[in-house]
Amino acid sequence: MSNQFDIDNVSKLASIELEETEKNKLSQDLSIILEHVQAISNLEFDISVDEVFIHPLEKQLNLQEDVVEEFLTHEEALSNAPESKDGKFIVPPSME
Amino acid sequence: MQYNPTIGIETHVELKTNSKMFCRCKVVDTEEPNVSLCPTCLGLPGALPVPNKKAIEFITLLALSTNCKITKQGMFHRKNYFYPDLPKNYQISQFDLPVGINGSLKIVLNDQEAEVAIERVHMEEDTGKSTHMGTGRIDSATSTALDFNRSGVPLVEIVTKPVLKTSLEAVAYIEELRQLVLDLGISEGKLEKGNLRFDANISVANSESDVLGTKVEIKNMNSLRSLERAIDYEIERQIKALNNGEIIAQETRHWDEGKEVTKPMRSKEGSADYRYFSDPDIPNMVLDEEFVNIIKSKMPKLPYQKRLELMQTGLSIGEANILSKSNDWIVKLFHDVYSTTKNSSSTYNWITGELQGQMRKVEINELPSWFKADSLSEIINLIESNKISFSSGKVILAALLVKNVTPYDVAKEQNLFQENDSEKILQIVKNVITENSEVVVRIKNGEDKLIGFLVGLIIKSSGGSINPSIAKDLLSKELEE
Ligand SMILES: [Zn+2]
Repeated sequence: MSNQFDIDNVSKLASIELEETEKNKLSQDLSIILEHVQAISNLEFDISVDEVFIHPLEKQLNLQEDVVEEFLTHEEALSNAPESKDGKFIVPPSME
Repeated sequence: MQYNPTIGIETHVELKTNSKMFCRCKVVDTEEPNVSLCPTCLGLPGALPVPNKKAIEFITLLALSTNCKITKQGMFHRKNYFYPDLPKNYQISQFDLPVGINGSLKIVLNDQEAEVAIERVHMEEDTGKSTHMGTGRIDSATSTALDFNRSGVPLVEIVTKPVLKTSLEAVAYIEELRQLVLDLGISEGKLEKGNLRFDANISVANSESDVLGTKVEIKNMNSLRSLERAIDYEIERQIKALNNGEIIAQETRHWDEGKEVTKPMRSKEGSADYRYFSDPDIPNMVLDEEFVNIIKSKMPKLPYQKRLELMQTGLSIGEANILSKSNDWIVKLFHDVYSTTKNSSSTYNWITGELQGQMRKVEINELPSWFKADSLSEIINLIESNKISFSSGKVILAALLVKNVTPYDVAKEQNLFQENDSEKILQIVKNVITENSEVVVRIKNGEDKLIGFLVGLIIKSSGGSINPSIAKDLLSKELEE
């Protein structure tokens, strides 16, 4: 795997604007991280084991009963919004 | 050149739970914005999502009923993208370990049973609703308004393999899927309310090629009619483009309902890379045999099973399909009436035609409480045994819809029983012939259409009580003499 990756694409996907110097620094840092991760590919696995480890938590999921509870009032929900109108959150324009 | 279209359908089904998918906020159906919210469905920091047991039961029902293999070790993933209707900037969804894979759904197409291969059935959460405010044009919106009531409502995505060939097949598939979720009791299934939403992936390929063409995704089809039209339009557009030597761009297009065309959509920022990773907040979801067996024991009768039962009465697959997609009371009424008439064809015609037509006329959506299946059976039996005419049957049915009476009482009161006694009818026929000798002469001179006029007179002079076919036979015989 190449350690060269498209920092521009990464910053675009993360919606984070980067200065040229930041791009250089992050490219180097992320390359080092990727190198560490690369080590996993070189490991040999015993694929005969029954349970494959697929999740960081070993805990089994408890599902919740479908019972309604009250949480925030309309006013509480909107209280942190920088802008609201007619009961709706207002954000900068976005379009599909 | 010959081109073959290939269509795959992605359907989102909103589940009918009381509370949301990962929090216990109420699922609401209201225009009042932002009234059912909590830190989890608002994406506030520190909130912990916990999946809804009912929703997991519902999706397992759906996956089992579409013959999917259930993934024992299921997992939730984060699907990352930046769009304001998702306040967390990711949607909790499933990626490589969905609830169900590799299933199939039996549909009815052109009066034949067909099967649609299902790729996957997975669980996710719905987004909030955004409205673009400004000058009206989406491109020049000045701000976006958000209502998060729908944020976090349980949503199931069902993806077919790219196996459909025509728009009609796609429509038949959605009709079947809609009936399935209704019969399973897991969704309201209302297209107009967005309980069921679908996108189509369409490609066309040279018929001599083994490789599929470039896939174009079509969004914003809100009805079965727009699904059919959008697919037809898009297939034609792609074939035209290929014939002109153009290259089909892999893109998402939007169906413009008014202009009836598909148009390229401005793509969501970075939508090409969702950077899926397992949601560290939600442990693995184990759907073991015990759980699956409990769900299996709750499986109701499925639409294709209802169809089979109906076909056993002698109905065609097309008729059985129409009935199986009707309200429950209509299916039950059919079986009840059929059990005494043993005539599936006339029972079907009376229920789907005359009964529903008359109900529309008097503007009722359900049968009056006094209306019994036996009454409809009696009407059909009276007609079949020639005791009343077909049109008298309609009169009786109309009476039954507005007052609590029996078919026999209505027939008696309105003098609808037919005279089947040939001797009595012959007497009336002879009288009419004598009274209309001029008409008889004209008929003998070749004016055949006047026979109907005489039949009318015969029925009229009997007070409408004569079996018209007997009257016509006797009249013809008399005229020949
Ligand atoms: Zn909530």
